[in-house]
Amino acid sequence: MSAERFFSHWVAPARRRSFLDTLGLALPVLAALTAIAWRISGLAAAAALFLAGGVLALVLARRRATRQDRAWLIHRLDASRPELEDSSALLFSPPATITPLQALQRTRIADRLDQASPHDLVPRWSKQWLLGLFCVAAVIVAGALLWPRPGEGPPRLAPSQEGIATAPGLPRLVAQNLRILPPAYTGLPKRDSAKLDVQAPLGSRLEWTLRFDPEAQGPRLLLVDGKPLPLRRDGDNWVAGLTLDRSFLYRVDPAADRGPTPPLHRIDAQPDNPPQVKALTPALTVVKAGQHSWTPAFAATDDYGVASSARLRITLAIGEGENVTFSEREIPVSGTGAAQDRRFAPVLNFSSFGFSAGGDMVVQLIVHDNRTPSPQEVRGPSLILRWPSARVPESGGLEGMVNTTLPAYFRSQRQIIIDAEALLKQKRALSSDRYLAKSGTIGNDQQILRGRYSQFLGGEEEGEPELPTADAEHHFDGDGHDHGPPVRHSPGFGAPEDVLAEFGHAHDESPASSLDPETRAILKKAVDEMWGSERELKQGRPDLALPYANRALRFIKEVQQATRIFLSRVGPELPPIDPTRRMTGDREGIGNRTLQLAGIKRSDGPAAAAWRALESDAVPDPTALGNWVRANAGRLPDPLALTAAIDAVRQQPRCAACRARLQGLLWTAMERPTGQPMPRQRPDAMGARYLHALQGGGS
Amino acid sequence: MTIEHISAAILVLAVLLAAVRLILWHRASPQPHRPRLIALLVLQPVCAALLFLTLYPPPVPVGGDAIRVATAGAPQLAEPAGAPTLALPEAGDMQGAEHVPDLATALRRHPQVRRITVLGSGFTPRDMDAASGLDVDFNPRPPPAGIVSVTPPPVAAPGESFGVGGMVTPSSNMVVELLDPAGRVTDVTSPDRQGHVRLTGTARAAGNSLFTLRVRTNGRTLAQALVPLTVRDPKPLRLLLLAAAPGPEIKYLRRWATDAGFEVTSQINAGGGISLGDAPISLNPATLARFDLVVIDDRSWIALGGRRAALMTAVRNGLGMILRPTGPLDATTRSQWRNLGFALTGTNSISPLVLPKPAPASIARTRLGIATETAPEDMSLPADFIPDVSRLALSPLGMTSAALLQDGGDAPIAAWRAQGLGRVALFTGLDSYALVLTGRATLYDDWWRALARAVIRPAPSPASPPAISWAGERLSLCGTGPRASVQQPDGSAVALQPVGACAAFWPVKAGWHRLITKDGNAPFYVQPADALPAMRSARDRDATLLLPNAPAIASEATRNAPGTAWPFGIAWLLVSALLWWLERSRVGRPQPARSSM
Repeated sequence: MSAERFFSHWVAPARRRSFLDTLGLALPVLAALTAIAWRISGLAAAAALFLAGGVLALVLARRRATRQDRAWLIHRLDASRPELEDSSALLFSPPATITPLQALQRTRIADRLDQASPHDLVPRWSKQWLLGLFCVAAVIVAGALLWPRPGEGPPRLAPSQEGIATAPGLPRLVAQNLRILPPAYTGLPKRDSAKLDVQAPLGSRLEWTLRFDPEAQGPRLLLVDGKPLPLRRDGDNWVAGLTLDRSFLYRVDPAADRGPTPPLHRIDAQPDNPPQVKALTPALTVVKAGQHSWTPAFAATDDYGVASSARLRITLAIGEGENVTFSEREIPVSGTGAAQDRRFAPVLNFSSFGFSAGGDMVVQLIVHDNRTPSPQEVRGPSLILRWPSARVPESGGLEGMVNTTLPAYFRSQRQIIIDAEALLKQKRALSSDRYLAKSGTIGNDQQILRGRYSQFLGGEEEGEPELPTADAEHHFDGDGHDHGPPVRHSPGFGAPEDVLAEFGHAHDESPASSLDPETRAILKKAVDEMWGSERELKQGRPDLALPYANRALRFIKEVQQATRIFLSRVGPELPPIDPTRRMTGDREGIGNRTLQLAGIKRSDGPAAAAWRALESDAVPDPTALGNWVRANAGRLPDPLALTAAIDAVRQQPRCAACRARLQGLLWTAMERPTGQPMPRQRPDAMGARYLHALQGGGS
Repeated sequence: MTIEHISAAILVLAVLLAAVRLILWHRASPQPHRPRLIALLVLQPVCAALLFLTLYPPPVPVGGDAIRVATAGAPQLAEPAGAPTLALPEAGDMQGAEHVPDLATALRRHPQVRRITVLGSGFTPRDMDAASGLDVDFNPRPPPAGIVSVTPPPVAAPGESFGVGGMVTPSSNMVVELLDPAGRVTDVTSPDRQGHVRLTGTARAAGNSLFTLRVRTNGRTLAQALVPLTVRDPKPLRLLLLAAAPGPEIKYLRRWATDAGFEVTSQINAGGGISLGDAPISLNPATLARFDLVVIDDRSWIALGGRRAALMTAVRNGLGMILRPTGPLDATTRSQWRNLGFALTGTNSISPLVLPKPAPASIARTRLGIATETAPEDMSLPADFIPDVSRLALSPLGMTSAALLQDGGDAPIAAWRAQGLGRVALFTGLDSYALVLTGRATLYDDWWRALARAVIRPAPSPASPPAISWAGERLSLCGTGPRASVQQPDGSAVALQPVGACAAFWPVKAGWHRLITKDGNAPFYVQPADALPAMRSARDRDATLLLPNAPAIASEATRNAPGTAWPFGIAWLLVSALLWWLERSRVGRPQPARSSM
């Protein structure tokens, strides 16, 4: 056994005990502190404190354990074991350093050493400390857990401040408490108010606990403009409860209308405000090169909490110019952060939405708060992500879109011809598969273009071409092989009428109706040729497609020169003009017309009457004014304060301060009439002469 | 002939009568005793002379023609050196000074005084008359800090916006606020370099109200004053709207005027002699005399033709007229309107009208009333959308017209000019109706009401009491007529005694008074005696400064004052007693037989 191992063998039990003892002492302290922290600052603080305290306790315990070193062991052995003859130091000295005499002594006592075990050296538990600390900690923890929170347990009554002189025999409010239990969803704690005037969230439960002296007989809470609320007896106290559904004024009536009128108290119901959504990213963002996703960020705040799940409404505008497709969808998103201030930052992958160059993505966050029942829903601002196309920017307006429809497609048909010719030139360089694929692509373009023009013809050209035979001319309705009702196509590329339906107002039934018959006929031929071109292109024969394409272009050119698109606009719907009466001088039915116009009948109402009464030392009619305030509460800035002021004047008509207060509140409750000016003052005789003289003699 | 001469004549006559009587008596006496007669004859005139001197003691030459008069704000300790110091009641309890109730009393006590050195802030109106004619030496101290002047608004119509003028010193680092009767700040401004401020408030229903003008510096209130406002319902005014074509502007104007309570007659020409609106009327002096105001557009003006003379005659007799261009003016109209006094300089084209910057929301809210049933609150708060309002780029303002309205870019958009008893205004706004459509109905109302107020036919109004008066200070009420009275705040009435056209009134208590005349009654507010100290002090100072500071009358000229009368009175009494004794005594009389005692 080496010296080190020998030493640790002897010291280990003592060290372990010392370590555990320290931890045992730290535990009650830590528990007490944690309980206090939990009570004051909540669970997170308590956990943090517990962890930090635990680490500290471990460090301290370790330091205390290491204090049991070699010197301690020697001292301890020498003190407890006389048979070691104060020579235990020799046992733990390195063998190289000891003299022969010392070695002799060492072997002598080494045998004696083993007669006892290292466990005898273990220090005792600090029992008194442990016991004391555990007792104190138990008391503290119990106190922290059981100390009454405000709003729990029996209410503590506060002395009342009604300010009424005592009258013998008349009960009087002496102590009061108003407990407010907010709705659960608000997460607000219950609280006790020593005052009878409080502000509480709408929907809270209010519980009054009142004490009267001498004992009252049937005390009530008198609600101004409401039913009186009787108080129930509960031991020495009187209690009443109410769910707060509106702000109100009340007074505690201990003596059933006998005695002086107690002062008014005011309960303000604080409504739950709808959430507020703020965009954290700019309203318009442009896609950068290489960007594959977008993360619009919103912050939603609410007074009590925003629901963690929200919806993101995504509107995609894909395509360019007139070929814009809109699609709209809503995806659920979840927010992060505290309930009262949530962040929503969904990651939108372009690929999953089919978002591509030349498109716009508009997102809007729809959040709701946690009000129960009926959460309040709020739509946030719209953010736009724009992916500019590499090509020339298109003009913006819807009007321009519709009007430039045809020119845009003329270019496109020419583009198809150019593409096809280019493909023919590259024919040798390309493999047959690629050649076919490219041709097919041009054919697709041709198909799209044809589809668009077919829509101008009412969609009837969609599908298959008419046979170039004479019987094509003899189609008639109900001939057994018609195409049925026009098919409603799903919005796809090149369907601008969907744009119209989405954002605009289609003024005519279909695009077809905006064409005159001649143009229709030419356009029909163009579509037929396009069909031929498309067929050849898709079969990989652009050389054969070119004649069709060129003919189609020629027909379209004709359309361009021959036609106009008529778009009727919405405007005043004027009666039709009768052309036969024009310029004939016939005035029958035309005459002066009286345009009736009834002005708003306005009276300045009881507020102004009360204002004038107060100003002239008279007593205003409180009943009429009170009724008016109740009827018009929605229009008044603070109807409760006004009601209270009216009540004060009703009680004490001569109280100057009450009258001044009512007057001030009445000013905020008056309409401001429009219109009439005060006429200027008529000049006196000399002034009139002067003004006439200015005019050069005058009348 | 003065009273002295008459007295002297009476005395001389009495002495002569007495002498004649004595001589006759002496002749008739059986035993004339000449020395006695001579003594009596000598003593009678002496007695008369002494009586005369008692009544009119001979003037004595006096010196010291200067005094110092302490007025309000004078230092409490009189300087010992120099002329004697007299303290007026305003000077307070001044040590070492002679206290006099007013300056006139002081001058009676010191009749020799020709020169007055004024200490303090100056004489009150009470002493102005007494001080005139004297040489007043007044070294005013710098004007007191606070509200030096406040001009309350004139009588307003319900809902009208009004201006309050004022002047504060010092003018730097000051904030002047106008508080409405509810105690809310309804306008804030800082004074210009001279200290002038102008604040705007809005009236409500008819009645009296007190606004507060408050001067603050560094968050501390330096001074405040009550600004009385009287609102009276005017009787409905009659308005004639002439338009050459229907359009939104005339539509909204008609709607505004109808809702505002005007009696509106609108004549909207639809061409071909067709008129829309109300039943057609003919424009002649008789019908025009029925109207208070006519609003006419440029095309109707052109179409008036020969009836224009009748219209202008009506205007000269008091009718108000608002000219309203509908677009660029043609040359004839432009020159005709120039002849009415409007400059119409600038380009004859349409340019955008810059809307005035709205007041901060907290202030704007105090200027609005509560929402009405027909106009909810969100309608009265301006939308973010800024309407395109345009104006004619011609400026109506010239040398001969008065500015009325300006747009946000300080371009004049309305001006008026007197035409005889009436007035003509020109409003260059072309499509002000857009204000109504974008929640700016208040601005629309303010503009059109200002236009109407500027030109509307004048109406007789009850006597107007002075705008600012103080309790305990005489005020003169003019135009009251006979049998007028003032109703005091406590309800008691005081009959007025008019002298000429005006009557004097001494208000006792502060508060709303009511001047009741046969034409109606006019409320006026009397400020508390200690209100507006700076304004009173500045008024006294300015009035005292206006007193003549003539060079002193040659000081070597001796001046006399009536001498003391009592020595002569005593002498007269002694002489009279001697005379009486001599008359009654037996000296020089025949001795009757002595009785045996």
